[in-house]
Amino acid sequence: MTKQLPSHLRKIGHVFVDESMQDSPIANRVRDKLAGTDQANIPWTVVPPEQDRVEFDEGDTQALYLKEYKGKFLRFCPGTRAYHCCGYRIIHIGENCPMACSYCILQAYFQDRVLKIWANQDALFTELGNAFGADPNTRYRVGTGEFTDSLALEHLTGYSHNLIGFLQDYDNVVLELKSKVVDLTWMEATTRTDRVLPAWSLNAPFINEHEEFDVSTLKERLEAARTCAEAGFKVCLHFDPIIHYPGWCEGYAEIIDMIFDYVRPENIAYMSLGSFRCMPQLNPIIADNFPDTTYIYNEFIPGLDGKARLLRPLRVEQFTFMVDRLRKHGMDKQLYFCMESTEVWNEVFGYAPKDFGGLGNRLMAQAFGE
Amino acid sequence: MHLSNEIFTASADSISKSGAHLYWADNPDKSLADSIEEFGQSAPVLVCESENGLKLVAGHARLSVLRDLGRPVLARMVEDMNEADKGLLYLTDNLQRAMDNGMRLKALEFFAPLMDEKSLKANILPRLGIKPKSKDAKLLLGWLTMDQTWRNLLKQGNIPLASATPLSRMTDKDRQAVEPLFTGFSWSRSNAINVLNWLFETAKMNNQSVQDVMHTAGMVKILSQGLSPKDAIARLANAARLARYPELTKLQDRFTAAAGEITAGTRWRMVQPNNFETGGAELTVQIKDAEQLKRAVEEMANLADAPAWEKLWKLGSGND
Repeated sequence: MTKQLPSHLRKIGHVFVDESMQDSPIANRVRDKLAGTDQANIPWTVVPPEQDRVEFDEGDTQALYLKEYKGKFLRFCPGTRAYHCCGYRIIHIGENCPMACSYCILQAYFQDRVLKIWANQDALFTELGNAFGADPNTRYRVGTGEFTDSLALEHLTGYSHNLIGFLQDYDNVVLELKSKVVDLTWMEATTRTDRVLPAWSLNAPFINEHEEFDVSTLKERLEAARTCAEAGFKVCLHFDPIIHYPGWCEGYAEIIDMIFDYVRPENIAYMSLGSFRCMPQLNPIIADNFPDTTYIYNEFIPGLDGKARLLRPLRVEQFTFMVDRLRKHGMDKQLYFCMESTEVWNEVFGYAPKDFGGLGNRLMAQAFGE
Repeated sequence: MHLSNEIFTASADSISKSGAHLYWADNPDKSLADSIEEFGQSAPVLVCESENGLKLVAGHARLSVLRDLGRPVLARMVEDMNEADKGLLYLTDNLQRAMDNGMRLKALEFFAPLMDEKSLKANILPRLGIKPKSKDAKLLLGWLTMDQTWRNLLKQGNIPLASATPLSRMTDKDRQAVEPLFTGFSWSRSNAINVLNWLFETAKMNNQSVQDVMHTAGMVKILSQGLSPKDAIARLANAARLARYPELTKLQDRFTAAAGEITAGTRWRMVQPNNFETGGAELTVQIKDAEQLKRAVEEMANLADAPAWEKLWKLGSGND
């Protein structure tokens, strides 16, 4: 009997590989992982050096593209000045995601079904080594979950496993792995439980059931968080995007209470809250891709950064409810807002980032266990 | 198709002026009638032979005027033509007319059954002043799929072309519900698009029909009040906006009331600059000389003591 890939990888029906990457460790690993599965015989196409992109349009089927990436791997998070950014640095390992969440900004960024992985890991490690090794006293809080899910392709590529192995030598770097699936194979690659922050996105059960597809259940994510906590890792949990839908109070109360059936507040390095926001061109894409989705018709206004945001009193109402509930469970200083204004910080928390020396500094300290 | 070079005279009554290809046929305007009466017919009409005698191909207004004046008609014969050729000749003969989207739709309705969409785009739309790949081209072709009732509303100028997009998102039942909004009034583009989008989105958000949203918002009642078109449209648009953005509208109303209290009797104007994303207000004044500047500064100093500021500071914070 043939094996099956994890459910979120079963739509992959084609692999493209840059000619220069055919014998890369990543390409070989993908071959090995596909062998013996019912996707073992999917076609592989070698992309010649003069071709800078692949065209793939086969309905629902996805393609994996193992690419030699020529751009910068270490980047700044594209936060804006109008709202408080967490100052996280991005390690760019690939683009696009095999899962389907109605609210996902990647739908607007990448309007195809090609999952790109930068297969030239040696170049990535060289750039990271130069940056992180330049000054051991400069600390970095980095993550891979900005343009893709950190662990969605881990089963095939082992990317995070390699990255964690590489970062073992850099005491000044904490890596956050942000995901909506469960794959803990990377745990074998490190003994530094204090330098890796496994992180999962959480949402109200209704949103998880109606707006997130091909992802792990909330219970599976929290069980994984517990496994990591028991192994000595601190975990991060992220409520982003928080969605204002009929019944949101009950929904977010349920998931908040559920968290503490699995982990204790002291197991959590930090937890973000971010209200659904999007660039205006995402809305018609959501309406097309997810015709049953209704939250996009809520009271959104153009924010200070030009993105559509829920009207401030509605955001404050939701945030206040959630923060109060989280505080009752013992959470406090680990809580922060992703891209919110000073006004909202003050209204909900009673203080703003400047009162504690800046959000980036606080999160850096928490990431390093201080 | 062949146009003869010969111009001949026929009695106006001997030329039949019916046929679908005369898709813009209308009563002639007075200036044309005056011109023909004064100078005579300067350009011949186009006719063809039919089983029942001569049939008009182009020149409907001229023929109508000449018939009313009881004068003979100068005509040119067209031979070997099909229905699409008739429509094209008619279009070419009328290219000098100021064209609106209702006229464009009438022309497309004539040509659509006679050719495929590709030909319609390549051969007809450019003659109607529309680029084949433009948004307007897509919208006009979208209107061809709408019910006749809706197409008539576009032709009458009651509803703008761009309404095809929000209307296409609605169910038949929802479209029926919004139809009365457009039967009696001529809507501007922005008002029509906003109202249709607001109604559709509110219905989706609340899992209601558009008809229920309109009832709850009081729009059905507004329609029955016999208001002037201007007043009716303003009230309908306001009601739809309130249904779509209840919290924002409430905030804006409260801001407007507080701003009115603060600036009453002064030249200062006050707006909330960013949809309450931050607190506060933006004050402006227009001045054109030193005296007005002095007075504005004095007014500004007095404004600062207005008690209504307290209402305004916290608007939008969620704790107001």
